[in-house]
Amino acid sequence: MLEKLVFQSLIGLSFSMYLWLLAAGLTLVFGVLGVLNFAHGSLFMLGAYATFTFYGKLGLNFWLSIALSLISVGIIGAILERLFIRRIYDIDLAYQLILTFGFILIFDDLVKIVWGGVAMIPPMPHFFEGNLSVLGRPFPIYNLFIIFAGLAVALALWLILEKTWWGRMIRASASDREMASAIGINIPILFTTVFVFAAMLAALGGALGTPVRVVAPGIGTAMIIQAFVITVIGGLGNLKGAFVGALIVGILTSFGILLFPVFELFIIFVVMAIVLMVKPEGLFGK
Amino acid sequence: MAKKISRRNFLKNAVMGGVALGTGLGGYRVTYGQTKKAAGPIKIGGQGAISGAHADYGWQMMAGSTLAIEQINAKGGILGRKLELKFMDEELKPATAVKNARYLVTDWGADFLFGVDSSGSAMAIGPVLPELNRLFFFTHASTHRLTEELVAGKGIKQIFRMAAPVYQDALAAWVFKDNPEIKRWAGINCDYEYGYVAWNLFKETIKKFRPDVEFVAAAWAPFWTMDFSSHISAVMAEKPDAIFSTPWAGEGMMLLRQALMLGVFDKIQAWWQCMGGSVDLLEGISREVAADKFKGKLWATARYIHNWPATPENKAFVEAFRKRWGRFPNYSAESSYSSIYAIKTGAEKAKSLETAKVGAALEGMELKTPGGMRLIRKEDHQAIYTVPAGRVMMSPDYPIPVLGDLKIIPTKEYYRHPPFTPVAATK
Repeated sequence: MLEKLVFQSLIGLSFSMYLWLLAAGLTLVFGVLGVLNFAHGSLFMLGAYATFTFYGKLGLNFWLSIALSLISVGIIGAILERLFIRRIYDIDLAYQLILTFGFILIFDDLVKIVWGGVAMIPPMPHFFEGNLSVLGRPFPIYNLFIIFAGLAVALALWLILEKTWWGRMIRASASDREMASAIGINIPILFTTVFVFAAMLAALGGALGTPVRVVAPGIGTAMIIQAFVITVIGGLGNLKGAFVGALIVGILTSFGILLFPVFELFIIFVVMAIVLMVKPEGLFGK
Repeated sequence: MAKKISRRNFLKNAVMGGVALGTGLGGYRVTYGQTKKAAGPIKIGGQGAISGAHADYGWQMMAGSTLAIEQINAKGGILGRKLELKFMDEELKPATAVKNARYLVTDWGADFLFGVDSSGSAMAIGPVLPELNRLFFFTHASTHRLTEELVAGKGIKQIFRMAAPVYQDALAAWVFKDNPEIKRWAGINCDYEYGYVAWNLFKETIKKFRPDVEFVAAAWAPFWTMDFSSHISAVMAEKPDAIFSTPWAGEGMMLLRQALMLGVFDKIQAWWQCMGGSVDLLEGISREVAADKFKGKLWATARYIHNWPATPENKAFVEAFRKRWGRFPNYSAESSYSSIYAIKTGAEKAKSLETAKVGAALEGMELKTPGGMRLIRKEDHQAIYTVPAGRVMMSPDYPIPVLGDLKIIPTKEYYRHPPFTPVAATK
């Protein structure tokens, strides 16, 4: 039984990392810009479609395809922020929801026009094929890679926020926007860069999924609900919270499927409800 | 806007007399007489999933019905009138599907309805049909309850189902009953009605042939599952000999890709992918089948497969479909195509477009369709036709995988027959 649980938790850990990549950008944008970006899932979807196109259709190198898709989605993010998101910083939250929800519909239809409605999946990169024996059972090399990629992103984010000038500006403006502005931080430019950075994180999540997942219109919305649950559990706007939340949701979901398959779907919502009752601001929220 | 039109329609009908009026939530409900328009096109309203991971199924319905309509119109239409199609997105949501059906009949003026992928949507539409007074040809939604409970049980005569129902998913029992080495079964199934019923029917059936089989694990995946690793790993922990699985379309592709990564096909004897014979899925796993990644262990069925039966009707249909759309038809295309022709045959036999007359004409009728001879069973309005099961493999005759090593089981064996005994539609 213990072996089953350990193996299942490793599978759950790789699932957590996909969730973490999505939740990280979502919570970063909320923490710094104060915007609850429903369209974050759409950026994830665009990252997946871009990688599918560069790698699966045009046959480019897998890593180059990921880099190109991050750049493409980053550009889309910059346009979104400059033309639309920036207009809603100071108005009611309801308008943010309407605007960003509108973008979900627009992007879903857009990908259907460009790529069609059929679900598609590219070939697996050769170097990721196969599996290792873990506790006597085959564990995919790709899932191992995803675990490392997720941890590397977590480490990189921590280093960027703690050790770089840009990171300090972000933290300063997140804690007091007016004061940050008063000491000479160019808030509009900072916000654009943060939004672009978050868009690229979403795209990375989508890109890393392409070898094991289909691209189809709507895949962004499929994941975004779990990402919201994670940010609520961890505390909206808190990166550490998003990471811990992703671990909780991913691993608990995976355990639930093994141990309580009949009502596994409820588990993470029960956890969310308990967190909201005991600590409404989330585990790491202030 | 929508309200305005329905009021105008309401007034028009009130003037013409013969309206039955009920008050529903937020407006008037109108039951139509069908004699109001004599000329103009015959309007056919369809709906299916045309967004999301299952979007290809709705597209296939649209493609199949469009082909039939173009063919029929080229030959003068039905009873001298041309056909016109409007196709909507049911979003796999019952509320949307019911709204669409109401819109198509009361606002757009549909004479006939067809389509629907989701069983939940079908069960929601069924009870509304007597009030809308239109025949609905279901072309994919497969819960047995649609025909067993709503038609045979409650007598909703407006429901017809042209696609094989969930009975077919239990074909696995016939395919594997003579393999004594396959004893331990596990299920990875959809966490909604279709998954529950398919798995329960299969268990019930194979137990009859093989009292020695065990069901060692079951994992349930809701709509929109992207990561099946946890499900696969949970059932593989119980070391099954074979896996029975219902996720379809894009979800089926992801499930099979992730199962390959987890080395499942090195460990098991067989994998039964219920709707694995659907064209989108066959396209999606082409590379893996060609490279023999499934080691010949992947078996599947579909509610129709383009490489069977070898009849002139089927050949002509597949050729016309490929010429028109550049792809192979999947089963929802075939059932939609056949539905349009069923409307034609029924209306011509009844010499009328009236719901009751066309419905009565279709009862007990035999129709020659691409998928073979279809008998519209009188008791439950279920089309009965043979669908094969087989091994997923490449064939020199086709660019995508097909089902080979076909097992053709007589419909008498695997269809359920009235009077119906209940099957649990729960986990």
